[in-house]
Amino acid sequence: MSLADVQITLAPNALVAHVTGEVDMSNAEEMGATVIGATPNEAQGVVLDLSRVEYLDSAGIYVIYGMRSSLQARGQALILVIPPGSPVHDALRLAGAEHPGEVTETVDDALLALERLKPPAI
Amino acid sequence: MAEADHERVRRPRLGPGQIALEVAEPITEASEQVRSSYRFSDPALSELPLDALLDALLNRIQAALEVDTVAILLHDEESQQLVARAAKGVEEEVERGVRIPIGRGFAGRIAAERVAIFIADVDHADVLNPILREKGIHSLLGVPLIVEGKLIGVLHVGSLTPRTFGPNDLAVLQLAAARAAPAIERASLTARLEHEHSVSVALQRSLLPKSLGEFTGMTVASRYLPAREEVGGDWYDVIELSRGRVGLVIGDVVGHGIAAAALMGRLRTSLHAYAIEGHGPGRTLELVDRFVQSLNEPAMATAAYAVFDTFSSTVLYSTAGHLPPIVVSGSDARAFEVTPAPPLGAFPYGRCPEHEIALGSGELLFLYTDGLVERRGIPLSDGIDALVEALRGAGSAEEACTAAVADLVPIEGLRDDVAIVALQNSAVPRELHLQLPAEPKTLAQVRRILRRWLVERGADEDDVAEVTIAVSEACANAIEHAYPPAPADFRLDAWGTNGEITVAVRDTGQWRPPRGQNRGRGLSIIVAAMDDVQIDRMENGTEVVMRRRLRHR
Repeated sequence: MSLADVQITLAPNALVAHVTGEVDMSNAEEMGATVIGATPNEAQGVVLDLSRVEYLDSAGIYVIYGMRSSLQARGQALILVIPPGSPVHDALRLAGAEHPGEVTETVDDALLALERLKPPAI
Repeated sequence: MAEADHERVRRPRLGPGQIALEVAEPITEASEQVRSSYRFSDPALSELPLDALLDALLNRIQAALEVDTVAILLHDEESQQLVARAAKGVEEEVERGVRIPIGRGFAGRIAAERVAIFIADVDHADVLNPILREKGIHSLLGVPLIVEGKLIGVLHVGSLTPRTFGPNDLAVLQLAAARAAPAIERASLTARLEHEHSVSVALQRSLLPKSLGEFTGMTVASRYLPAREEVGGDWYDVIELSRGRVGLVIGDVVGHGIAAAALMGRLRTSLHAYAIEGHGPGRTLELVDRFVQSLNEPAMATAAYAVFDTFSSTVLYSTAGHLPPIVVSGSDARAFEVTPAPPLGAFPYGRCPEHEIALGSGELLFLYTDGLVERRGIPLSDGIDALVEALRGAGSAEEACTAAVADLVPIEGLRDDVAIVALQNSAVPRELHLQLPAEPKTLAQVRRILRRWLVERGADEDDVAEVTIAVSEACANAIEHAYPPAPADFRLDAWGTNGEITVAVRDTGQWRPPRGQNRGRGLSIIVAAMDDVQIDRMENGTEVVMRRRLRHR
């Protein structure tokens, strides 16, 4: 089986990507490209659910930063779902990267956060 | 480099008591050579179907060499094993379906090294096949069967009395092998085609896993023995799961014939599909039960599903009416008895409880179907007791399978089919000394090996997580240093003393300063996760030595 899986669902205005398994230099770029490639232009942003990732290394962190830049260039937001005490949380702490952008504890919170970012309807 | 190194010929790797023979001289007695070559080149032989051809060849070899036993094992490429195909004097080899892994024991070594091997005294030599000992064979001589550079099998002869097989014997046996190999190859091709026509056998075969895969921290072995007459519905499966876990399945559809084999295929697929979704063994069996209930046909099967976790060395086990597994611990073996849930398809909404089995370093879990232990007129518990006896002392999953088949499968063959799958929790070494390919996919393997090793050294969950990420980062650096296209390796050594572990990662490339803000994070992680980090940049490579005191010992 592959090291990690990415399951993509579409919420109104957002793409939600649930990542499971281990992310390292062998598959980090592929994960990033899969998510960015699947994001529709009209989406407000991307929710990257890392709550079930069992391992993330510096290559993975690098890709997440890269994803944020490319989404920003398209005017889209990236919200990370990282519960406290999860392996990704610990990896970010070790890397001294506690603030990799907007982080929530659950996917629902992330979707609410995206909703708040939405420009008011005219 | 010294001259001698260039001239050194690679020596075959042999086991104890094995002697490699070479054909040094031509056969001394011309008349014997003529006689032998006539025996093996008889044009009539090429007309025979495979079984008759092998029979004729064995008879001629037995007469020419005046030996007590002759056996031909053919190479099964799918399983990388030698399968006994024809024998004289040791007919049990074929009847019990003896399978010898390439590289192991007498025949396995002949195949792996492609050399002739002589064993003067079987009692003091590396011989895997118990039948050779049981028959009281004293001396053995074997040669590889090779056609156009391809290994197709092994031919060996044996003597019940001590005998020194010499160059003349070897020359005759090699002549026989040279004549036999192409004929066997030709006839097996034809036989394989005919075999495919037997729909039920082909169906059964196609439904079983082609290869068991390779796993870190454990080894698996399996057997499927068809029944003498009818196709059955037994199956096994080995499923790679996430987080260093592996699933082992054994199952048995009630009934025989094509219908049973077809249902087996559906059950195997549905169980496999639920398992890779990440359901535990109990839930997986409950879901398969629901699937069986949904079929509008009478269908019943017993099955057991075990999930082995290589990090914690535990098995989670659930059974739906299946026979108890056997746990082997060195010279001790016992049946793991639990009250099984009802068979699949027996009652709607059955519940399957999960049971935990601790599997120590080197211990084995053995799953099997009833065909192995059920004999007419003998209580089932006696059959299980006999199996427990047979498995005592089995040192590997492969050995356990060989011992069970050798001791329990009757000479006259089986009335019911048998599936077996065995797993061994590999012993964790005290120190790690690994030479690894510098490729990104190596990292996941390093982490699996390291996690097991750390747990064995007494590391707690935090120790394991933090040391693993630090070492994986150091390895990632080593991999980045290795410039393509030249294939490169790096070294990983790990040892521990007094609650402190040390891991050294060494490559042969040049240290590259971190590039960009994020690329430097790898080094930050290493420093943050370990108590002490030394980076030595040398002429011929870079070494990162990391130490950490474990929190709880």
